[in-house]
Amino acid sequence: MTSKSGSILLMKPSNIDCKDLQSYLKTRPPELLEKIYHYPTICLAVYRELPEISRQFVIRILFVEQPVPQAVVASWGSQIFAKEQAIATSCLTELNVWRVAAIPGGLPAWELSSTFSKNLKIALLGGGRPWSMSTFMDGPKPKEVSFLDTYAMSRWRCVLHYMVGAGSNSKIRENEGISPDAVRILLHANLMRRDERDGTPSITRQGFQFLLLNSQAQVWHFMLQYLDTCEERGLNLPECLSMLFQLSFSTLGKDYSSEGMSSGMLTFLQHLREFGLVYQRKRKEGRFYPTRLSLNITNKNAIVPSVGNDDDKVEENGYIVVETNFRVYAYTDSNLQVALLGLFTELLYRFPNLIVGVLTRDSVRQALKGGITAEQIVSYLQQYAHPNMINTESAVKTRSSLPPTVVDQIKLWENERNRFVYTEGVVYNQFLSQADFITLRDYALSINVLVWQSERNRTMVVTKNGHDDVKKFWKRYSKNGG
Amino acid sequence: MESNEADISLLVVILDTNPSQKIIRKNAHAMTQCIDAVVAFGNTHLMQKSQNKLAVIACHHSVTEFLYPTAGKLEVRQVDGQYEIFTLVEKTVKHRLAELINSAPRIVQPCESLLAGSISMALAYIARVNRNKSVGMRLSSRILIVTGSNECASQYMTYMNVFFTAQKQGVTIDVCALDKSLSLLQQGTDITGGQYLKLPQLDGVLQYLLWVFLPDHQTRDKLVLPPASKVDYRAACFCHRELIDIGYVCSVCLSIFCKITPICGTCQTVFKNSAPIREKKKRTIK
Repeated sequence: MTSKSGSILLMKPSNIDCKDLQSYLKTRPPELLEKIYHYPTICLAVYRELPEISRQFVIRILFVEQPVPQAVVASWGSQIFAKEQAIATSCLTELNVWRVAAIPGGLPAWELSSTFSKNLKIALLGGGRPWSMSTFMDGPKPKEVSFLDTYAMSRWRCVLHYMVGAGSNSKIRENEGISPDAVRILLHANLMRRDERDGTPSITRQGFQFLLLNSQAQVWHFMLQYLDTCEERGLNLPECLSMLFQLSFSTLGKDYSSEGMSSGMLTFLQHLREFGLVYQRKRKEGRFYPTRLSLNITNKNAIVPSVGNDDDKVEENGYIVVETNFRVYAYTDSNLQVALLGLFTELLYRFPNLIVGVLTRDSVRQALKGGITAEQIVSYLQQYAHPNMINTESAVKTRSSLPPTVVDQIKLWENERNRFVYTEGVVYNQFLSQADFITLRDYALSINVLVWQSERNRTMVVTKNGHDDVKKFWKRYSKNGG
Repeated sequence: MESNEADISLLVVILDTNPSQKIIRKNAHAMTQCIDAVVAFGNTHLMQKSQNKLAVIACHHSVTEFLYPTAGKLEVRQVDGQYEIFTLVEKTVKHRLAELINSAPRIVQPCESLLAGSISMALAYIARVNRNKSVGMRLSSRILIVTGSNECASQYMTYMNVFFTAQKQGVTIDVCALDKSLSLLQQGTDITGGQYLKLPQLDGVLQYLLWVFLPDHQTRDKLVLPPASKVDYRAACFCHRELIDIGYVCSVCLSIFCKITPICGTCQTVFKNSAPIREKKKRTIK
């Protein structure tokens, strides 16, 4: 009889791991957190990312200059939502926003981190030092918002085009090259991989998943990877973070000054300029303009909402129409968008301004095999849905612009692949006699470790945990001469 | 709950700046204190989420005006570490309010603040924002009234109209009474599902505002807030504008009167009376 175990099947394809600010900071050491809380902008960003209840807690004790007993804080929340409250509390602890303090009387209490509360107050009410990038300048020179939008998108698309076009099409690379620095980040983020033979970078599975994200999420993920490597470039991480959030909280169309910045920050600014997060006319010019890409950088929702009398209305960027018969029409001439749609649709026709494809079981399964999830496909289609699809009555009612049949079917196709339940186990086979097999099988069954058996092939599978027991039993059994 | 993230929360603060309020006449600093608190509160609302929106309306004795947002944008540079948008709010509100106070006609005798008019202005603003929002976004809006005025029963009809309009539009009305308790506005908060708070003292007004009025509608369910006290649902009669417990109601137009009259004062219906009216029947409170 032989036994062998198999666990290779259990390997899951590694997917892109998109962190939000909170989970990013939770993985950082507390000393660093303390250091970055010295910047009001970071405190503001961290505050916005907190769960709803945590935000209320922080606000309630922000102006109370002493520790507050934990029991008091707990009494603020309704009992029905105790679970949510527990999450809120632990989140504040993990982020070092508050810590346990002792108050006279021996009761445990919460005390806001003094650095955090001081700088959050500065962000809210003022009274601190000005931001590094708002040195006084002679005469404001505002820029057109639409101009900045076009500039930012064209720069950012260069990065995306590079990812798709690199290696395969040298012509694209000449026109829309990106700096070796950006390539290094893409490689570091595992979005691209160097080919083993000739060393040219090519896109990875994670890279494709990255492309399906909305641009806000893309920029954030990309910047996180950048920050990971910024120490290697000799840049100061807290300084970079603070700069990033200053941009994130700046006003679109307004000019800011780079005067008095350290040389590290100037390098950082040039990098941001390359990715389209800021616009600067000339490298040497002392003023720059943040673009929409850098605004509210931690916000995962693609559209920065514009309501009321705001004059900076977001341009509608939807171009995809999905019909109930699974046909997809995309009004686009961009190779990037065509390539992305081609990931999960079967392309039928291509016209100068329109491509027609169809979502089939095979095409979607092809994408699923590549590690793209149904959720990603649906959200991509949703995100770029044509305005006419969003305005239909059913879309307004269900808050989803896609036909429900298509969404359900894509999810069903994904579930189809999940029919297998993987269990780690050990195979026993090549028994010498039927009696041996039956004894061992019955034993495994009696201690509840049998996964599968076939009497005709004299083969059985037991769980990994049960393997030791069954092996011992078999040794005893065969020693006794069966 | 990702859909919630995309929701815009609009807060319209109506600040009663009428100089005939008792708290202002007694202590001129009370006004400054209130404005500072309201600005800080508004900024805290903006701080909650990047999508949040704010509007501030001043209800003066002669006029009601928007303090924020205004048509002409002020050029602000960030100076002391405060978030630029917050600085913009603070500067604009103070600037506009100074303009308003300087241009207002001199007050001859104490007059009441026309809060109902300000609420309808807020509702109109909310309706406009709602219409202009981009597709797929949801707007949840509320109105916070900060006032130290007395009860004004003379505005009863206008009040009820704006309250029911607000209810129909799904707008929550919150009221923070600085001085007297206001039963009519309390009715409004009850109708629209808002919070009513009468401040025990003027000190620490910001903390009260943050505590009770900052959470939005969904969050309020998750927190323990002051329980709603019994709402005084007395109506004002149409003849003398006084709050009454029991009165007479016209069978045709439902107007309320404290005294019986043979002809309805609103719709001119002639009531048929078989028996002579006995004065004894009439009971009004107070």
